[in-house]
Amino acid sequence: MTSELVEKLKSGLKGNITVISDDGVNDVVVLSDKKLIKSAAELIKGTHDILFMLTIVDRNPNFELNYLFSNYRNKNIIILRVNITQDDYKIDTVSKVFPSADWEEREAYDLFGIEFKGHPDLRRILLPEDWPGHPLRKDFEVTDDVRNWTGLDLKF
Amino acid sequence: MNLESEEKNAADEFSYPGLGDVIFMKAEKFIETVLNWGRGWSLWPVTFGTSCCAIEMMTFGATKVDADRMGVLFVGDSPRQSDLILVSGTITKKMARRLINVYEQMPSPKYVVAVGACNISGGLYHDSYNTIAGIDRIMQVDVHIPGCPPRPEQFQDAVKVLRELIQKNKIERYDKRTS
Amino acid sequence: MENRKGVILNIGPVHPATHGVLRLIADLEGDTIENIKVDIGFLHRGKEKLAEMRYFSNYYPIVDKLDYVSALQMEILFGSVVEKAAGITLPPRAVYIRMIMAEIQRIMSHLVFIGSFGMDVGNYTGFIWAFREREELMTIVESVSGGRLAPMYICNGGTFYDLPENFNQALTPVLDDIEKKINKDYRALFNDNNIFVMRTKGVGVINKSTVIENGITGPNMRAAGIKRDLRRDEPYLAYESMDFEIPTEESGDSYSRFIIRIKEIIESIKIIRQALKNIPTGPYKTSVPWLLKIPEKQTFVRQEVSKGEMAMYMVTNGGLTPYRLKIRSPTFFSLKMLEKILKGSKIADIVAVVASLDPVMGEVDR
Repeated sequence: MTSELVEKLKSGLKGNITVISDDGVNDVVVLSDKKLIKSAAELIKGTHDILFMLTIVDRNPNFELNYLFSNYRNKNIIILRVNITQDDYKIDTVSKVFPSADWEEREAYDLFGIEFKGHPDLRRILLPEDWPGHPLRKDFEVTDDVRNWTGLDLKF
Repeated sequence: MNLESEEKNAADEFSYPGLGDVIFMKAEKFIETVLNWGRGWSLWPVTFGTSCCAIEMMTFGATKVDADRMGVLFVGDSPRQSDLILVSGTITKKMARRLINVYEQMPSPKYVVAVGACNISGGLYHDSYNTIAGIDRIMQVDVHIPGCPPRPEQFQDAVKVLRELIQKNKIERYDKRTS
Repeated sequence: MENRKGVILNIGPVHPATHGVLRLIADLEGDTIENIKVDIGFLHRGKEKLAEMRYFSNYYPIVDKLDYVSALQMEILFGSVVEKAAGITLPPRAVYIRMIMAEIQRIMSHLVFIGSFGMDVGNYTGFIWAFREREELMTIVESVSGGRLAPMYICNGGTFYDLPENFNQALTPVLDDIEKKINKDYRALFNDNNIFVMRTKGVGVINKSTVIENGITGPNMRAAGIKRDLRRDEPYLAYESMDFEIPTEESGDSYSRFIIRIKEIIESIKIIRQALKNIPTGPYKTSVPWLLKIPEKQTFVRQEVSKGEMAMYMVTNGGLTPYRLKIRSPTFFSLKMLEKILKGSKIADIVAVVASLDPVMGEVDR
């Protein structure tokens, strides 16, 4: 069974997507251009209510963003995969379309250093503002210096 | 320092330790002992509960173990009127200065009980990037409770041990014990 | 800032009313909250990074401390992710054992909620009672697994041990006792208690549209009138063959969030009774190598834990450890709502509203 949403995305985004799986329940599509993320989110908005989770995978040096949308009426989910390359770690925010993306994007900014353009309040969320580095990147190594640091010099 | 040189120094300053001074010193020691005896029986804690151990700390305060009968009253929770801090749970780097802040607000004498493996050596999170592997790195701890998380009975035992240490004058009084 | 008449009040991160290490910065005008900011991350222990450094079997103790009041459910969730990725099927007895333990854990988690909520709104007896009942169940969990708060009972391919011999005889009277007390004593202490009802009714209302917009799940969602439960909508374990109701409330205030959890305890007891009757005999685990290698794959699993819909997204690349593990915590989404729902209410209501969302910071900060 091909999902209607995938058809809608295909026609709406003019063939900029690659379909990996489309059984109607667990759709996985890859978006080739990161500039289209906002229009893709707007197309998804009709059938899905929330950004369920945003998983970022560090494929050094690129990042793979997995947007997982879900809804409250049935068990359908769609995973929208976008790759961002090393020239700039920036992507448009979807928090205007899906308010539930607000803190998820802040977390991604905090732990991976990806900048979400147009986010209303892009600050660090889990770590203090002056914490050095982005710990969930693959090139961040937990060295003895990091472990022995007590954090007493951080801003209060 | 032997007695002769002490006498010599005292003679230099033209002031011999009088009988009153000696008695006063003895009395101070005596009063200290009496006070410590009292302190041991009435430990009011600041419940610095951050994570898993805090739930077992709540169990320690609830029925079955019942902290109240040991003189550990969970009242007020204000650092200004407490003499024991129960650091139960992982201390992260963001939390470290807050812990010191709470600790410094407590009146002297103050005692520290570090609860759980995280506060001894880092425990499960010994190789994490955002935790402090043992709070001995930032403050002086009187009693450690091992376990991940410890049982409520171990809190009871720790209070017993701490009481013994206090009443036998084993814990020196410091005003500031942070590094 | 210069012309302001009000004050800024900082609550937390260590405050008896914030349930762990939550920090709220309230901008007050008299007694009314004009604006409030939520600050989290005081318990960020880097669990997602630690997943990349641990073998699949060695990550269970860390998963335990995600939501430390329902540790078994966290273990079951992680176990399901690993088993789905590695293609391991569970023996039927293990499925039932896991389901029974998950429901026992749900009752315990809700009892902690009742206790701490009672304590926060000035009902100290509620705290003492709820922890008394929880201790009974804790004895059961201890007899099964050997641990209390962090049981370490689930392993890849089943459970570490079988249920003890007299499990049924030990559990049944405890469940009867809890059901009787919930229906009688707790009703008198909370539902029929005017002071408690006045304190919580109409406070911190989250309506249906806010819930849908912000991705709130679990009991907080059902209190706003949305009938959804992954145990029935996407049945996992053996929930398909169980007969249970999904309680909902309409108003979405603190009181209904409390009532939902009371009702869910009764439903959980129902499930456990059915499962004890139908539990099959046979092996309780399949043999799985301790060092597991999972091929390149992306696995997504979500389950209904006591706080809502919890999910894990695991990316593997053929190694001995996950390449990336993302944990979706339900309370992370509910806490964001505090900024909206507390606006315009009184300071004294902060306590009731925060406690009614049932936040556990270990799971929020990860």
